[in-house]
Amino acid sequence: MKHSKLWTGLSSVVAILLVVSILATQCMLGYSATINDMLGITTSEIVSNGDSDEDTTYYESAYGELNYDNLQLLIADTYSHAVTEEEEGAVLLKNEDNALPLSSDELRVTLFGHAVVQPLYRIAAAGSKGYQGEYNIDLYTALTNAGFAINDTLWDAYENSDVSRSTGGSSIFGDGTDWSMGEVDISFYTDDLRSSWEDDYNDVAIVMFAREGAEGSDLYVEDPSGISQLALHQEEKDLMEMLQSYKEQGVFDKIIVLVNSGWAMELGWLDEYDVDACLWIGLPGQRGFEGVANLLIGEANPSGKLQDTYAVDSTSAPAVVNAGYNDQTWTNIDEVDAGTSDDLEDLAYYTVQAESIYIGYKYYETRYEDAVMGQGNADSTVGSSNGGAWNYTGEVTFPYGYGLSYTTFEQTLDSVVIDGEDITVTVTVTNTGTVAGKSVVQVYAQTPYGTYEKTNLVEKSAIQLLDFGKTDMLEPGESQTLEIVCDKYLLASYDYTNVKGYIISEGDYYISIGDDAHDALNNVLAAKGYTSANGMVAVDGSATDGNAAKTYRWTEEFDATTYSTSEYTGAVVTNQFDECDLNYWIEDAVVYLSRNDWEGTYPTEATQVAATEEMMEVLDGEYYEKADDALSVSDITQGDNQGIPLAAMIGLDYDDPEWETYLNQFTIEELASLLQDSSGTAEIASVGVPAILIGDGPDGIDKTFSNYGDDRSACCYPCELILSSTFNRDLMYERGELLGEEYLYTGATEAWMPGVDLHRTPFGGRNAEYYSEDANVSYLCAIPVVEAFQTKGINAGPKHVAGNDQETHRTGVSTFFNEQAFREGSLRGVEGGVAAAGATLLMHGYNRLGMKWCSASIELCTYVIEDEWGFVGKQISDCIAPGYTYFLHFASSLEAGCDCYCLDFAGLSPASVVAQIEETDDGDLLNLLRDAAHDDLYIAANSALMNGYSADSTIVSVTPWWQPTMYAIIAVCAVLEVLCLAMMLRKNLKKNPDKEA
Amino acid sequence: MSILKKKSFGWYVLLVSAIVAVVGLVQFSSWAPDHSATDTVITVALILGIAIDLVTIWKDLDILVVASTACYMVGCVRIVTDNVGSFVDAYQGIVMFGDATQVGTIISIAVVMGVAAVLSAVSGFLPREKA
Repeated sequence: MKHSKLWTGLSSVVAILLVVSILATQCMLGYSATINDMLGITTSEIVSNGDSDEDTTYYESAYGELNYDNLQLLIADTYSHAVTEEEEGAVLLKNEDNALPLSSDELRVTLFGHAVVQPLYRIAAAGSKGYQGEYNIDLYTALTNAGFAINDTLWDAYENSDVSRSTGGSSIFGDGTDWSMGEVDISFYTDDLRSSWEDDYNDVAIVMFAREGAEGSDLYVEDPSGISQLALHQEEKDLMEMLQSYKEQGVFDKIIVLVNSGWAMELGWLDEYDVDACLWIGLPGQRGFEGVANLLIGEANPSGKLQDTYAVDSTSAPAVVNAGYNDQTWTNIDEVDAGTSDDLEDLAYYTVQAESIYIGYKYYETRYEDAVMGQGNADSTVGSSNGGAWNYTGEVTFPYGYGLSYTTFEQTLDSVVIDGEDITVTVTVTNTGTVAGKSVVQVYAQTPYGTYEKTNLVEKSAIQLLDFGKTDMLEPGESQTLEIVCDKYLLASYDYTNVKGYIISEGDYYISIGDDAHDALNNVLAAKGYTSANGMVAVDGSATDGNAAKTYRWTEEFDATTYSTSEYTGAVVTNQFDECDLNYWIEDAVVYLSRNDWEGTYPTEATQVAATEEMMEVLDGEYYEKADDALSVSDITQGDNQGIPLAAMIGLDYDDPEWETYLNQFTIEELASLLQDSSGTAEIASVGVPAILIGDGPDGIDKTFSNYGDDRSACCYPCELILSSTFNRDLMYERGELLGEEYLYTGATEAWMPGVDLHRTPFGGRNAEYYSEDANVSYLCAIPVVEAFQTKGINAGPKHVAGNDQETHRTGVSTFFNEQAFREGSLRGVEGGVAAAGATLLMHGYNRLGMKWCSASIELCTYVIEDEWGFVGKQISDCIAPGYTYFLHFASSLEAGCDCYCLDFAGLSPASVVAQIEETDDGDLLNLLRDAAHDDLYIAANSALMNGYSADSTIVSVTPWWQPTMYAIIAVCAVLEVLCLAMMLRKNLKKNPDKEA
Repeated sequence: MSILKKKSFGWYVLLVSAIVAVVGLVQFSSWAPDHSATDTVITVALILGIAIDLVTIWKDLDILVVASTACYMVGCVRIVTDNVGSFVDAYQGIVMFGDATQVGTIISIAVVMGVAAVLSAVSGFLPREKA
């Protein structure tokens, strides 16, 4: 019979549509905040009930009214600033015979290296996608606009090649074995291709190499090629050999190398391949290549300085043996599995910071000084890259702070004045070259390492950056005097064994200026009477005697008092992280690197231990216990709604009693709803709380300007590492201001930025979006960015607090250290943004401090961040969307001081906390929930979120249009399904009245 | 065997859909536990769909075909919605919400389940027993 099964088939088809629509809707509701964010939907709106003339603009844009036209002005400024950042942050590493800048008759060039068509604009992590699409300026466009003529034959060949660089995180069809460096094989360069530059486009060979890490993916210490990801790979060597050969044949006059990396690539090969000039360009974001082009042709003059030590062999850093891919699992992993209840994957890994304070230049330069001074077995073979006696030239290619210019400068240390906490360093800089340029003044210090320090395990870097300044643009012959006020606090050392607090060591102190850390140290050595006869060498390995005139010496008495209390709150500063020292749990489990004996303490193997039963208890993560005398839930006022909106709390002190009255209005469920972040928190209309939108990304916001008629992404600035490499506080402040302005246009009022973690090793997957290997720099750079940003009424949230210095197993890795290393290292960068700059938001790390998750560490969240630093605001966990079991001890993290749970799409945190409060009648836990809500709402009430909102306004929930649309689709499908089934049954009954369907 | 003699092309299409669903079930069951992706709804839906198709050997009712189609589709869509995080990671090139390395496997399992659903729906249009 014709079409006898039509309705059966249609019923099945509609059933498919019905299932898809129901499950898709269910999924979309779970990610509703993300969808709303993508669609530019706000789920609450303000309805004004009072005086319409009341000025409710608490935070204004410097561009005037928020509208399309002013937005265009802002966007233009962000793009312009991004170019300037790149110009001032890129670092000229080599410039043989002034190969750069290129003259106007050197602009017919061939671009080599596959990275030229696949540049790394920013790391794969949350943030602006501005580098994708029409508003991005790629290398080709930037160079062409600057007047270059580019060899299209090779460019097109690269673009059409099958090669593509990947990260561990982006491998989607397997286990990562398809990972690729992203460089073509030498056989790629066929005779046809070669003829394209043999005949033309051969003024200069510009080569670009890229290195790439990502959120969740460290760089490989040993990649599938069997070598460090930061080393020059065979395909790259072959390319360089080919170019060297062409240069020898006279085809190319110059070879210029661009290093497109946020990680310190090994560059000891530049001379070997006769490279004329090398420019480190970091990750330039969506406009930075314009700056690169300007630098190449001399429209801009490089003035950036390295924020990392560029080692000959990156694996020589003493942290590498325990960090990243070299982290360890407990040797009794089966016992740990049996002895804990959380998933094993969440607690199986640990890393030991056996390197103590010796990260980056603090290792290389300190060992150098000890080698020169003949102490501490510094010249032993242990830790040597070449197997021989350790020597500086064999270890470091470019030191921290290094960077050349197209001109030359002379810096004179005029004076140093120490007045209380301020050390005022006056330096005169003169441009002694032939073109205009800017000069960075790097102020370093050396503090004494004497008997007390050796006895009590107080380690000292031979040189440490104390502060910095940057001149204006100086014309040839022009001078400028800079007065740099340094904070003496940064000279204090944390004594975790004896004083259990900060000390000022007894002995001689030195202030030194220098072109880089090594130069500054040589000046200190000169002041101490050492010469080239003692083995002092300059950066290039040549003998040097340093320059004692660039140093200032003074003496301090031992002082354990001045910094025994917090400068922020007056609280006593003492050990909080004893349990994070592996030796606390297992005697002599770890030997920390000490300059007292480099040979005996340099970590040559990863620290391996078995977790004890006591350690397993901590690993298990359940710390909260209801007190015997806990309040009952009924003891605490709930739901007493007096019609007070959040706007009524604007400007009130955190401790104002009115807050208690306000919070009494909330039900438990309403309080708990604020725990759940989904790129923001939902509105609570009954108590006048608008929806809060959060933005993410240290180098640009992950949002568009669609609210104001422009769908493009917010600016993708050069990476944070480029910004810090400018050593220009004005640029940092301006970046903060511009980001704040952009936030006003996106509607987000809370931000997860800046990144303040440390480059513990050169392999850290997110080094590019953190400032430096030097924690003092993180401290100093975070301050202007956060301060400027918050002037716009946007809450800045430095991340990831703290010790989150590796991506490998970042979710749950136990991180062991001694307290000196932690306070002077990972914690110092956070301190700058949070304590010194006054950030009102912060994001915790995924890692554990010792064995406690950062968000569950009361020592971190309460004793240090709140009590010592005086932080008042919202502490948020890292993203808990993956649902790992160690996230789920919500009462424990709430008690520690965590206020909110990032990207809790499933609502795990409110559901769990509400259930625990109600099931156990725990009023204490309810009070912790109120405290968290108080933190959250306090910063909300004093932010740009309140713009347009007065005490006479009400908040109205807005249902996003897509939700009823999805429900309508479900309804239509359901109706069609019923109709089809009815028709099918009718047909069947007609066909055979006695049969069922 | 006499039962099978009565079956026509449509029923064999349905049988193939059940076999494909079995493949999908085996794929899912062997993959999910190692990737924290176990979902009883998917397992139950697939088993139910396969069982319903088996019932048609003896009792060929149109409503059963519709039901098995829906069951297979639940498996197909659910494995995707369960693993949105992995797709986000793959898109962003990061390791956070899920496991980007599993996107290929997730897609392949979903495709198998989807093929089962489509075959089942196709069989709905076809006569499954000889007149």
